[in-house]
Amino acid sequence: MDIRFTPAEERFRAEARAWIEANKPTDLPDSRDLAVRRDFDVAWQRKLHDAGWAGISWPKEYGGRGATLIEQLIWFEEFARADAPEPATLFVGLNHGGPTLIACGTDEQKAEHLPRILRGDTVWCQGFSEPNAGSDLAGLQTRAVFDGDDLVVTGQKIWTSFANIAEWQELLVRTDPEAPKHKGITWVICPMDAKGIEIRPIRTMSGHDEFCEVFYDEVRIPRRNVVGRINDGWRVAMSTLSFERGTAFLAHQVRLCRMVEDLASLARVTPLATGAALDDVEIARRIARLRAEVEALRSMTYRSVSKTARTGVPSAEASIIRLFFSELQQRVAALATEILGVDLLDLDPAGSRGRSDADPVRGEWAWRFLAAFSSTIAAGSKDIQRNIIGERVLGLPR
Amino acid sequence: MDLTPTAEQEAIQASIRSFLESELPMSRVRAIAEGAPQELEAPWRRAGELGFFGLAVPSQHGGTGYSVIEEMLLFEELGRALAPGPWLGTVLAAHALAKAKGDREAARRADVQAGRSRVALIDVEEGASGSEAKDDRFTLRDLVVADAARAELLLVLHGDAVRLVETSAAGVGISSGQVFDATRPVARVSLEAVPAERLPASAHALRRIGTALSCAEAVGASARLVELSVAYASVREQFGRPIGSFQAVKHRCADMSVRAEAARAATIYATLSLRDESDDRDFQLSVAKVLAADAFVQNAADNVQNHGGMGYTWECDAHFFVKRARSFEAILGSSRRHLDAIAARLRGA
Ligand SMILES: Cc1cc2nc3c(=O)[nH]c(=O)nc-3n(C[C@H](O)[C@H](O)[C@H](O)COP(=O)(O)OP(=O)(O)OC[C@H]3O[C@@H](n4cnc5c(N)ncnc54)[C@H](O)[C@@H]3O)c2cc1C
Repeated sequence: MDIRFTPAEERFRAEARAWIEANKPTDLPDSRDLAVRRDFDVAWQRKLHDAGWAGISWPKEYGGRGATLIEQLIWFEEFARADAPEPATLFVGLNHGGPTLIACGTDEQKAEHLPRILRGDTVWCQGFSEPNAGSDLAGLQTRAVFDGDDLVVTGQKIWTSFANIAEWQELLVRTDPEAPKHKGITWVICPMDAKGIEIRPIRTMSGHDEFCEVFYDEVRIPRRNVVGRINDGWRVAMSTLSFERGTAFLAHQVRLCRMVEDLASLARVTPLATGAALDDVEIARRIARLRAEVEALRSMTYRSVSKTARTGVPSAEASIIRLFFSELQQRVAALATEILGVDLLDLDPAGSRGRSDADPVRGEWAWRFLAAFSSTIAAGSKDIQRNIIGERVLGLPR
Repeated sequence: MDLTPTAEQEAIQASIRSFLESELPMSRVRAIAEGAPQELEAPWRRAGELGFFGLAVPSQHGGTGYSVIEEMLLFEELGRALAPGPWLGTVLAAHALAKAKGDREAARRADVQAGRSRVALIDVEEGASGSEAKDDRFTLRDLVVADAARAELLLVLHGDAVRLVETSAAGVGISSGQVFDATRPVARVSLEAVPAERLPASAHALRRIGTALSCAEAVGASARLVELSVAYASVREQFGRPIGSFQAVKHRCADMSVRAEAARAATIYATLSLRDESDDRDFQLSVAKVLAADAFVQNAADNVQNHGGMGYTWECDAHFFVKRARSFEAILGSSRRHLDAIAARLRGA
């Protein structure tokens, strides 16, 4: 057991840190306009790409960095430590679509899409969830039938993040309605400009258009866009889940750790009747507990990555870490709103009121608080995570 | 960076586990708690022969020559077994005596490492009321001390000073009565200007080791509680199905395992920071203590709930864990004190 990194890893860290520090964009657009955000992400991703940092976990043969697990962990840690912006609109392509093609795509599919995804030229979205298939994803009903060389898709997806700016979609459709539900699904690359697709943005509780409903009315998709075997889409979708192996979690952990530091800053400058909130024993202990928990999250992540590095298989504890993180993030944001008190109600959307060097993110808490609600819903709700832990980690009966 | 045990460490842990499963099974722990403390004597002596008390003591001083990491594995197993006995005081005494010179110390060291002398741990703040060190004598009024009644020695941490007191010395008063946690019974100890030899060791350093090891013990117990709950929930049936298939129970078990895992990761990290003398080791130890106390206290409570009426009985082992969790909370700094230390760090930031 060792918490130290090897000299080679430390050199990698120094190199990553220096590059990120020198190159990270600092002009993150204030606008919530997705097209603006997209342009920003594309420029940033291209910079990463041209310097050889794109696709840190992608194999070298597909243009990635091919970094070891520990190097990936260091990269994400440094990336977040520098507060470098995540290319959020490119997330699905880089972390789902691309890796799925790497695992299951044909040579043509790989050649067409992988270089573009890696350079940030194309935005992908994920068309998995439907109005009647959320936690029970395998219950999806969007139909696809073969007609000549085409797949003809009719149905509806929902909660599709960035559908309105994406060129491509990883789309799950039902190709065999008679088969058991996991056996009749196909994974297909859907061009978002195809005829018959209609996209309607959905406003989130924080007032932004972040995800969309997508309607498909006899949309024709070439058969060669099917990834993996027909009716084997469930396995194709699951193969991607093991791709990322938990290293990216370090970025979440570091950012959450900074959020706790922000919380302490907020408490330092916010007066209570008796003095600064941070001098209040109860509030100080509650912040200290969150600080302890976020530190434990880092150790858990290190441990899980260590296990994966040793065994080669993703650690079963991934759900434990996800659950711990998502609830912790909500506790952090909730305590901030409590400390802000009535000031929370008076925050302007641009988040500038009351901002000072000692408390630089005062205005962001309202948004952070609302955004944190999604972390126990998206990508497997907290209840589903608990089911997974109970059944797959602990072996309890279904 | 690797937070998983090496093959050798895994083998050490496995052999400790099988030793405890055969020498200190729950039936024996129960017998000891129910009034047969002599049941501990054979396993204790055997642990001494196997070198358990001197795992981190260099081999030239008669120890095994491992590090605090292997001790952490030992304590995790002790927690899992809910082992009674003054393990912590004895292991810390072995640390304190490791560098001591002179024949008398060498003999003491041999006795402690062999398990012939059992050592109870006393932690007093400097200037605490009723405590006083004068020349080679120590005075202490009425302190609650775990496992004092059956110890040959007392290891007294006072400020940064470390002293050893023989319980047979004149002026030592130890009185015990009904106790809350029978697997770790406390006694009231008073010392009236008793001879207390000063050892060449730092009490702060020993407290750190003690915190790491007691956290490991809590981690072992917390993980064991998950196993006990899962085992029961898998076989106990109500409404025609195992209770573990009900989400309320399943999710409670999931939460127990999250807590145990968080505490384990924090404890491993803290112990490694301690071994490497990292700058943030005190912070990491505070983190570990907070998470381990949470896990132990809450998992013990959930385990009672998962056992239903059975969980409320004396016959079920669940209550021993509930009580031990409180013993853990009370030694070497409560969670509150560690939270205050973390808060002070945040204020300084
Ligand atoms: C911000 C955000 C972005 C998203 N982006 C995308 C995207 O890009 N692409 C995409 O395909 N999807 C996306 N989603 C959808 C997301 O994956 C689903 O919301 C999620 O899977 C939950 O499904 P649902 O919303 O239908 O809720 P439901 O499944 O209806 O769940 C409602 C409640 O019931 C509980 N529940 C359901 N089943 C069980 C069970 N078996 N046991 C216990 N409790 C249960 C849930 O925990 C939840 O609390 C996004 C969601 C959010 C919030």
